[in-house]
Amino acid sequence: MAEFLFYALALVALCGAAGVVLAKSPMFSVLSLLASFFALSVIYLLMSFPFMAAVQIVVYAGAILVLFLFVIMLLDLGHMGSKVEFSTAMFRSPAARIGAVVALALALAGLIAVQRGALQQAAGAAAETGPRDGLPQLAEALFGRYGLAFQATGMLLLVTMVAVVALAKRDRRKGPGSQGAQGGER
Amino acid sequence: MNVPNEHMLYLAAALFAIGVLGFVVRRNVIVVLMSIELMLNAANLTFLAGARAHGGPDVSGPVFALFVIVIAAVEAAVGLALVIALFRLKRTVESDALVEMKG
Repeated sequence: MAEFLFYALALVALCGAAGVVLAKSPMFSVLSLLASFFALSVIYLLMSFPFMAAVQIVVYAGAILVLFLFVIMLLDLGHMGSKVEFSTAMFRSPAARIGAVVALALALAGLIAVQRGALQQAAGAAAETGPRDGLPQLAEALFGRYGLAFQATGMLLLVTMVAVVALAKRDRRKGPGSQGAQGGER
Repeated sequence: MNVPNEHMLYLAAALFAIGVLGFVVRRNVIVVLMSIELMLNAANLTFLAGARAHGGPDVSGPVFALFVIVIAAVEAAVGLALVIALFRLKRTVESDALVEMKG
């Protein structure tokens, strides 16, 4: 039963990915990407990587996609290529059709999974093998064997923060063709 | 779950291919960045499938997937800051607007 769930979720992930590429409005792209990430997260859970599934939701859906949404709202791009008012023409675009397939697959997968008790089975199977990314082992590897890479990642995050602030800061010396906004020099 | 690892790799390959397609054909820089996220996700799935196939107590696969997620966050932050700078300069996020380097 967990196998069926995997293939249904794989279909959802692929349709979500296709929606990212095909949607006219970047807002729909973000929502499709969200569907794809959720499906991948449940796939990680089925592969008995519960921690990676949680990280996928918290970091990808919770942080990175919200960053995308912020920029789309900040630059006021959400209305691009989409009609605000409701009309049946909305359902004729390829993106809408893919969305309908995704929704149908999700509903079917959920229905059948609940009916056959697949989630309990999957959870039982995961409990049998145990998580493949147990936190003690993960922490030991992260701070022991990969400690240097971990610290380099911290430096990378710091440098990125400074770079992003410098890039996004509004340039005081206004003027067309001013390079200050890109270099970040004051 | 008895899904063979090959099928996970097929899924990862398909996701990566869709990401490459979006990276190449879309002109909206934000959607291009999202396509890159898709490709990084496919890489993650490959790492985890490898860890599952390998078995044993080794957690290198999940650790590397974690690093990939951090890199994805960094890349999204820098990319979106660049998008904002581009929008300030050109009032658009279409990559067609960047023609200064054209010979």
